[in-house]
Amino acid sequence: MSLNKDLILLFLSFAGLVTFSQETQGLKDSMRTQDLDEVIVTATRTVRQLSSVPLPVTLISKKQIDRTGVTRLNEILNEQTGIVMTPDATIGGGEGVQIQGIASDYVLILIDGVPVVGRSSGNLDLSRFAVGNIKQIEVVKGPSSSLFGSEALGGVINIITEKPSSENITGQFGHRAATFNNQNSNVSVSQRRDKFGYSFFADRLSTDGYDLADGDNGQTVNPFFNYTFNGRLFFDATEKLKIFASGRYFSQEFDVMPSTSEERDANVHLRIDHNPSSKTNWQYELYYTSYITDEKILDPVNNDLLLANDFNQQLFRPEIRYNHSYSENNTMTLGGGYNFETLDRSLFAEQVTFDSQYLFVQYDFKPLENLNIIAGARFDNHSEYNSQLSPKLSARYNFNESFALKVSVGSGFKAPDFRQLYLDFTNAAGGGYSVFGKEVEAAGIQRLLDTDEIANVVVEQSTLGARLNAESSIGYNFGFSYKKGKISSDINLFRNDFDNLIDTQILAAKTNGQNVFGYINRESVYTQGVELDIKYRLLENLDFGAGYQLLYAFDKDKEEALEAGTVFGRNPETLETIRLARSDYFGLENRSRHTINFKMFYEIPKWDANANLRVVYRSRFGLTDRNGNDLLDILDNSFVAGYALVNFAFGKTFYKNYQLQFGANNLLDFKGQNPLAAQDEEVLVNPGTQFFTRLNIKF
Amino acid sequence: MKTTLKIFTLLFALFAFVSCSDDDEDTSKNFTVTTISPESATVGTEITVTGTDFPTETSQVELTVGGAIATIISLSSTQIVATVPQGAVSGAVSVNVDGNEKMTSTDFTVLSDLINAKAENIFAPQTGGQGQPIGGPFAKFSFETGAVTDSDTEWDIAFRGTTIAVNGGALTGTSEEPERNGNAAAGIVDGIFTEVLSTEGISFIQDADAAFAIPTGSDNGWYNYNFMTNLVTPIPGKILVFRTHDDKVAKVEILSYYQDAPANPDAFASPSRYYTFNYVYNPNEGKISLQ
Repeated sequence: MSLNKDLILLFLSFAGLVTFSQETQGLKDSMRTQDLDEVIVTATRTVRQLSSVPLPVTLISKKQIDRTGVTRLNEILNEQTGIVMTPDATIGGGEGVQIQGIASDYVLILIDGVPVVGRSSGNLDLSRFAVGNIKQIEVVKGPSSSLFGSEALGGVINIITEKPSSENITGQFGHRAATFNNQNSNVSVSQRRDKFGYSFFADRLSTDGYDLADGDNGQTVNPFFNYTFNGRLFFDATEKLKIFASGRYFSQEFDVMPSTSEERDANVHLRIDHNPSSKTNWQYELYYTSYITDEKILDPVNNDLLLANDFNQQLFRPEIRYNHSYSENNTMTLGGGYNFETLDRSLFAEQVTFDSQYLFVQYDFKPLENLNIIAGARFDNHSEYNSQLSPKLSARYNFNESFALKVSVGSGFKAPDFRQLYLDFTNAAGGGYSVFGKEVEAAGIQRLLDTDEIANVVVEQSTLGARLNAESSIGYNFGFSYKKGKISSDINLFRNDFDNLIDTQILAAKTNGQNVFGYINRESVYTQGVELDIKYRLLENLDFGAGYQLLYAFDKDKEEALEAGTVFGRNPETLETIRLARSDYFGLENRSRHTINFKMFYEIPKWDANANLRVVYRSRFGLTDRNGNDLLDILDNSFVAGYALVNFAFGKTFYKNYQLQFGANNLLDFKGQNPLAAQDEEVLVNPGTQFFTRLNIKF
Repeated sequence: MKTTLKIFTLLFALFAFVSCSDDDEDTSKNFTVTTISPESATVGTEITVTGTDFPTETSQVELTVGGAIATIISLSSTQIVATVPQGAVSGAVSVNVDGNEKMTSTDFTVLSDLINAKAENIFAPQTGGQGQPIGGPFAKFSFETGAVTDSDTEWDIAFRGTTIAVNGGALTGTSEEPERNGNAAAGIVDGIFTEVLSTEGISFIQDADAAFAIPTGSDNGWYNYNFMTNLVTPIPGKILVFRTHDDKVAKVEILSYYQDAPANPDAFASPSRYYTFNYVYNPNEGKISLQ
């Protein structure tokens, strides 16, 4: 622990030194200057023009969200180039976001720059986030652990909430009704007076859910309701001192009588901005968040408790950031913080605690008139796994006003999660197998040996409990952007190399014929491809957009095994073993080689109306290995055929403040076929067309 | 002395004659037969007889294996390649060139044909499971008969659920398991069924206290259990190689764990614990070939 203190002290003294030594310079503050152009904060943790950053970034504006009539984060993300919302492998379970072919476990979700916790088996349910009170959504693709630490491998999604701007009380009330009795009401109020501002947002969503499989018991998505409350306060004590406080609460309950399934997600965020001079900026941030689930599965006949799965994760994080502008395009950012994390879970022996400390530094400068370079690094020290250094370098070169080259290389990592470290679980109902996290596996095996439940230990016993490494990646992005007049286009080549992915391994065979599983750093995979995004103003009132992603995602070890001829499949007719070739390997699960989107937004000023049509296509993808060789090959009967979703919305404003909107998501009523469905049964991929109508009243 | 001289003269003349003429018919007597390889084989297998001074015309040579005439595939002055003919029995191999017959010094053994068959729907029920103690008798299988047997001794491998026992080694300790009174053992080879040519180099393991020769559990032995589909799938490329209870050899490729071996079994609708497997059994004592 003394080491931790030292680190913090070191950071503080270093940061202080920089402050004092630079305070005398009085140059214009550039990073806080807002241009007419769109600005983002996620790429550098400073305010930057979208058109100037050297990284692949997607910005989703409030206008786009409003126009499309969607209310949840997952819905709007799915329409963006290079972002795919994948169904859980069993389809119908939680959706996961995929960026550059990287699964949602490796994508960091932030609200106003602070991380959201609460992942069930890696996925973070993005439908938890209402998009009613947000200003914009920023998506930075590629690894960003140099700024944000763990989980920022595939990208960072930052939800930026709106700031009050009007002197009067303004707000809106809206209600949206959609298929499956999906009822969504929200209200927001905000005001800004001199030094003081506030905003309040409340949202309620309820639905009857839907079923993708007839004939079985229960529904794919059970009826549920949830509430979101968010209150924020803004206080500008002086020009130099600004205070921001935010509280958010989310509560959701599924109707699964007689069982219970509830989740609660709360966070409190306090930030003080201090600008002692026009070129220096301190940010002091305190953040607390908790994610609690209460799940009890009861036997519907006799109400016996079959499974209790409670989950209580808490994170407290103080962070300090310091920005200094030496000159207009010359900014140093320093930051440091401390994460205190705890998790109490039914499947763990006891409450577990994580401590980690981190420091980051970034230098954003222009060595040449047309060249911008950002160099940064972050060091994370952690109580439970080996510490991490995550550097990143990115550059942008503007050939001229409209044409630029963007290059970046960065590293990302993901800490082993609580489950991989502390799970102590024996599935009595599922056959009696056991799973142990790394920190408890040695004791767990010993316990089973003592009770004579182990037939033989498969791994070297002395290696049990050796530390896990963080999963890590290096991401390369190389792209061009062209922007002139009515056209704006980006092309980006990407490659992400992942190492030390945590996989399960068999530790021992039990006398009951089942296995004891543990975790190990093993797999190395890569994703690579091209993203192409074009926006074109076809007519004064007609905007057209198109996007395409080509993706290759493979496991390197499996590629090698295929080259060596040691991977086998089964002839689907004779069932006899055949040797598979490299070309038989389809790649990682849930990845489509091609994803395409088209968008058309049309404004009709004469009627004060707007209409839009969006099409999202993804090509064939596979769900799971089915022939026992532990990879997805073309002989596996688990592929979902490529499909397109067509979404449409039309909105009209009456008497200035009343907006009526209607539309349909999945207009063509695509339903699809789940290949994992049992014989003679049909399981759908999508529940079909969802019509909606929405009334919004501004005041 | 006169007689001796005559014979000598005759021999000399003959020698001179032989020396002068390459295509003298009488060379047929001078060929030799040295070895036969292999010394044992099944009907239809190629065998090679080596020797010297064989004629080069197939029509001049007759090869007899255990009384049956073999078809000659190729012929050179030192080698005759032929297939073991139908009806051949173990015994001497003879080469007959224009009425001159010579035998191999060792006898040739005609081996029984390898049995290449498919066993279908071997039902291997069990009781318990899902956390309860597993029980029930094993379904015992004999490679010799190609069927399930009730015999307590004449069995080679036995099935119960996903567990496979061999008739060799010690009791593992599971309930209702059959007594091991043979010398059976097992090994697992990664590869294609037809590429496993013999048991050469395979380390055989027998059942032992708390450990089956074929390890139990998903991904340890012959099968994979997928939590998503709830299916037990034989791992492709896992070829089980056995020594039988009476020291013969066999190889097995399990094709399915479900009744009638459906190509896409359904974990809930397809009845499970029905083994369908291809096997090759070599009934010849002391032989390890599996092709």
